[in-house]
Amino acid sequence: MGNRPFLRSALAFYTLLFISFLYAPFVVLGILSFQAGPEGGPQFPIIEWSVYWYEHIFGLTPPSRVAPLPIGEALIRSLSLAFMTMVTSTVLGTMTAQAFRRRFKGSGFVFYLVVLGMIVPGVLVGLGLALVANNLGISRTWWGTAYVAHVLYTFPFAFLVMLAIFNRFDRSVEEAAWSLGVTPMRTFRKVTFPLIFPGVLSSMLFAFTLSYDEFPRTLFAAGADLTLPLAIYGTFSVEIHPNIFAFGVLTTLFSFSILAVYGILMSLSVRRARRASIQEDIE
Amino acid sequence: MTAVLELKNVTKRFGGEVALDRLSIALEANEYISLLGPSGSGKSTLLRIIAGFEKPDAGDVLLEGRSLAQVPAYRRGIGFVSQGFALFPHLSVFENVAFGLRNREDDPLRDGAALRRRVDEMLGLVGLADLGDRGTDQISGGQKQRVALARTLVADPKIILLDEPLGALDANLRTRMRVELRRIRQQLGITFVHVTGNEDEALAMGDRVAVLDRGRLAQISDPDSVYNRPESARVAKFLNCYNMFEGRCDGDGVFQTSGASLSCSPDGAGPGMYCVRFDKIKVTPAPAASQAAGTGIQATFITSEYSGPRITYFFRGPGEKVLEVEYHLSHQRPEEFSVGDEYWLSWLPDEALVYFQ
Repeated sequence: MGNRPFLRSALAFYTLLFISFLYAPFVVLGILSFQAGPEGGPQFPIIEWSVYWYEHIFGLTPPSRVAPLPIGEALIRSLSLAFMTMVTSTVLGTMTAQAFRRRFKGSGFVFYLVVLGMIVPGVLVGLGLALVANNLGISRTWWGTAYVAHVLYTFPFAFLVMLAIFNRFDRSVEEAAWSLGVTPMRTFRKVTFPLIFPGVLSSMLFAFTLSYDEFPRTLFAAGADLTLPLAIYGTFSVEIHPNIFAFGVLTTLFSFSILAVYGILMSLSVRRARRASIQEDIE
Repeated sequence: MTAVLELKNVTKRFGGEVALDRLSIALEANEYISLLGPSGSGKSTLLRIIAGFEKPDAGDVLLEGRSLAQVPAYRRGIGFVSQGFALFPHLSVFENVAFGLRNREDDPLRDGAALRRRVDEMLGLVGLADLGDRGTDQISGGQKQRVALARTLVADPKIILLDEPLGALDANLRTRMRVELRRIRQQLGITFVHVTGNEDEALAMGDRVAVLDRGRLAQISDPDSVYNRPESARVAKFLNCYNMFEGRCDGDGVFQTSGASLSCSPDGAGPGMYCVRFDKIKVTPAPAASQAAGTGIQATFITSEYSGPRITYFFRGPGEKVLEVEYHLSHQRPEEFSVGDEYWLSWLPDEALVYFQ
């Protein structure tokens, strides 16, 4: 590579471009969310900077022609659904990955069967699930049919994360525990689980975020009570007001805080190890 | 003496490869067995079968006369120290040692004070009394080895299996750990099975040395017999201290190999392997060949290697064969040979071992 400086600046430019494409929509959204209300619309220029639309979300503004966002219950539903999905998928994913540590008969086939869940088009899965539910006389609910659809979708992600973790896992520590007279169950709890915990966190994060803003599968499977993405989509059909942008900013901040929690939990063990080694340097 | 552990016709295959081939062996109580073999001889597989991590395809393992076929690893009471030590990385040194006592299925020790006493006692035994609070990434390789050993010893196993326990340590530490192992063993009186690929280690540690070859037991006897009277050419080869010549003997006391005729004892005939130990060979300048006693071979000096108590000379014999001669400096003086010169390597015919196929 003779022209390294050129390559460097080209890559830097590319990275800049990438980041601006990633964040520009969010920045525009953020700016517009501070539009004056209720007369200001979702476009430039900003008439006047205000937090009107934020107040509007929380019902702190006097009644106007703009209806409040129908998100209160939808938010609760989405969070509950994401939490349920996260727990189920992570448990299932971990157990399945654990099973895959032994190359059992037909493991290749089962692998593709599991991974299929993230490959088949979401709308079709949702539609199919709704049809099956109707035929069986099961009513469609966010906590029933949609929950099943979300688990189907997020389980392969959790499984793949855990599979990667187990691939690098040194099984001789488990054998050491067994040879000390510790049952496999207790060995899993006391040795395996603490060691794969970072992977479990990652797969929880995947499952939660994927479920939280899942749209195509939920569209047909959720029934009458809407989840948050459906509720927001519903408001688009009337007229768009900057309150949607304000809400977008808030929910993004929420996602960031989830990431932050993940990061903190993740670095906890690392930091403990580092602190210990610093202590050793002092000694 | 009663056999504490007995393997009967144990066979194990991985895919099409035979790792263990109808292997039978009996270990006596309080015995220290070295299991020597090249990589791929099945020695680790044997250990893993005894520990219960692998199931034999055929044959049986008996512990104190009872079959272990249906007994899972965690109910065998057999300690296992693996090559990489396999310490629990999320636990301190103390907790690593306490782990088995705390969590075992059978009679877990819940009393904190009793636990602390036993663990501290064991850490003292392996010389780690002050390091209980350390993390496993804050101790040296030799200390990790001791933790692994203490963790296994504290569980009071009937047998301890050591899978190349010194392989991951440097030479200096290895010698010290050998002494340590011997001391611990004398103090506790447990049966040890020590797997190693190193012939020195096997001879030094074992009350008996079992030599494994291609999944079979090639020889099991005391170290002296293994070293001085290997039962087969392959055992001699693993010991890595024999010059070996392929050829045939016609029952007349003359062994024909490519480029030389060597004398041997006159019993036995047919194609075979002629072996003479590195330290049984005398080197004299080539012209003196006629006066030299015994039998010998003419060879060119290549180089020498000094290693403290001994010096090894390398010669090139007929057919480009490299021959080694070892002088023990405690009773021999090193000699100066000049590179490229011809020398006469000789030995007494009854020092040579001949194995017929």
